[in-house]
Amino acid sequence: RNHATWKGKNIKSKSGIFFQEFHHTSTSHCCSCSKTISDEKYQDPFQLGRKDLKNLYEDIKKELLVSAAELKEMCDYYFDGKGKAFRPMIVVLMARACNIHHNNSKEMQASQRSVAIIAEMIHTASLVHDDVIDDANSRRGKRTLNQIWGERKAVLAGDFILSAASVALARIGNTTIISVLTQVIEDLVRGEFLQLGSKENENERFAHYLEKTFKKTASLIANSCKAVSILSCPDPKVHEIAYQYGKNVGIAFQLIDDVLDFTSCADHLGKPTAADLKLGLATGPVLFACRQFPEMNAMIMRRFSKPGDVERARKYVLQSDGVQQTTYLAQRYCHAATREIRKLRPSPEREALVHLTEMVLMRDK
Amino acid sequence: MWGALLRRGVRGAGGLRCLSSGGPPWSQVVSEAEKIVGYPTSFMSLRCLLSDELSNIAMQVRKLVGTKHPLLDTARGFVYDSRNNLQMRGLVVLLISKAAGPSTAELSFQHDMVSGIYSSQRSLAEITELIHTAFLVHRGIVNIGELKSCDGPLKDMQFGNKMAVLSGDFLLANACTSLAQLQNTKVVELISSAIGDLVQGIYYENSKSTENCLTDDIGISRWKEQVFLSHSALLAKSCQAAMELAKHSAEIQDMAFQYGKHMSMSHKLHSDLQPFVKESSGDTMAFSLNSAPAILHQEFRGREAWLKQIREAQGKGNIVDYKKLQEAIKAGKGVTSAIDLCRYHGNRALAALERFPPSEARDALANIVYAVTRFP
Repeated sequence: RNHATWKGKNIKSKSGIFFQEFHHTSTSHCCSCSKTISDEKYQDPFQLGRKDLKNLYEDIKKELLVSAAELKEMCDYYFDGKGKAFRPMIVVLMARACNIHHNNSKEMQASQRSVAIIAEMIHTASLVHDDVIDDANSRRGKRTLNQIWGERKAVLAGDFILSAASVALARIGNTTIISVLTQVIEDLVRGEFLQLGSKENENERFAHYLEKTFKKTASLIANSCKAVSILSCPDPKVHEIAYQYGKNVGIAFQLIDDVLDFTSCADHLGKPTAADLKLGLATGPVLFACRQFPEMNAMIMRRFSKPGDVERARKYVLQSDGVQQTTYLAQRYCHAATREIRKLRPSPEREALVHLTEMVLMRDK
Repeated sequence: MWGALLRRGVRGAGGLRCLSSGGPPWSQVVSEAEKIVGYPTSFMSLRCLLSDELSNIAMQVRKLVGTKHPLLDTARGFVYDSRNNLQMRGLVVLLISKAAGPSTAELSFQHDMVSGIYSSQRSLAEITELIHTAFLVHRGIVNIGELKSCDGPLKDMQFGNKMAVLSGDFLLANACTSLAQLQNTKVVELISSAIGDLVQGIYYENSKSTENCLTDDIGISRWKEQVFLSHSALLAKSCQAAMELAKHSAEIQDMAFQYGKHMSMSHKLHSDLQPFVKESSGDTMAFSLNSAPAILHQEFRGREAWLKQIREAQGKGNIVDYKKLQEAIKAGKGVTSAIDLCRYHGNRALAALERFPPSEARDALANIVYAVTRFP
């Protein structure tokens, strides 16, 4: 049905399963793929969100009430203000966009800001555990918690951050919001489990990959957007818009992350590259490359465990169009996110969220 | 210190027996309690147990057989360990729910009740067990950097860690989801804070003092604070939360908290005392130098004297002769003090129970206290 073109490449429906997800809208706002920058006056999302996010990390640290000095140090470790704060930023921008849409309110509620804090805490707790599971030794340009303090304490620190996030969540006092954000906790764990298993069949692999991507990355963004929209107004259409924006941007974000694992160099990225391959994971670029190089199938099934597999797989990917295909897919998701968010009343925050999707595509770390 | 409170039992209007007069054996206490709450609590929700994730984990954990990863012991413990009172916390939450009776707060409190317990309270009992189990699993993680070649292949330990983190997280996530379904923000806050307490308690459990790896330089009050976190907070707050679910008064909530707290303390003390009160003809039971009798002994003798005794008990290669140390502790006041402390907490637990109306459930809770304060 809908075949899209990008720089002359025709992506046919073998990958059609992805496109079904977001080709249901009838509006044609953003189908002209030649524009990458929206021509309305845009604001740098970081500038717009800056005031709300000022003191974000200080406030998170205040939630981490620990008496043991070392445990406190561990819990505070990643809240050093050096992270991208990408998720909290989306949350505060979404909150404002929804508030303006609802009743032109320029105020942001305290509870909405709490959602941003809670989202970042849940995200960080899951990273801490992921690093133990993956035996990772660096993140964001510094050593991981488990590398410095050992696995036992690192797991405890992750548990503590999660419990503090739950306490903060309960204090908002809204049972719906608790349910929405608790779903994220469940999805994060299920996403990890999905990563444990593998699928034989090529089509199943893509679906499995996208499902894992949703659970591990997009669910947090989708549900925190939904949460602030619920706090903003009672209209379920708005909640759905917020959720879909978050979901699509989240998937795009992860797809680009998977691309960067192949294209970026380790120092710039802040963590080692080909990390996914080394963990035995077949991400977007690999799955696309496999269509051109079927000899990769065997490597995928054995999770790149034989010596030389990682290097060979990497070479195949870079020789194939895997990176381009994955990037293109990410663009489709970004366009979907933009279509959704443009259903809200115009505002600087709404446009910042559009601009944000472009930033997702253009980032290099 | 606690001598005065010691032998004075609690005999209030409700007629609870005092501590020294025995009570039924533990297994009977548990089986009677289970009857009172309506069904055996010997397994967690089927929904959770039958999940794909857990069966996945179970299959993977089988790969750990033959390795030295602690997760294997934890897993075995679930299946075989009736001594350590599988699901005891859940049972206590159910009992106290029943003992408190139906909600008196609002006449419109129309929640379904089975065997005198609201379904939300049953869910809470299960949540408590999920959290307790999650941390049993998370306690079994090993530090990769400290492994020696005698621990076996690195790969096995890494794999075991991975399984332990994942299964613990899975259990915790299930607990969070069930908590959210209770639709009560106070309960979510209470139980979430209990998780935080538990983490801190376990952290202290693991921490070793720098100068001497065998024993901490803490007095008994600090010990009690830490043990509260690691062994009492979860049950105490769950009992309180069970009352909140039925909208009982703040006073009843506090009494439930006190029962949970003091009974757990007694339980821990009772457990710590076992190596010292059993008449064993065979090998000496190993004991932790951070257990109550040792800490109290240290408090009486002074740190220096205690460290000296440890050194004297260390033979070739710094291997500790536990039998010698046990005798040293028994010769001092550590054991009797620990027994006194155990009974003190038992009395506090019974005092809290007095505020509940007489019932089978209340008797069962009292029997639990008698069982954990009984020494040969």
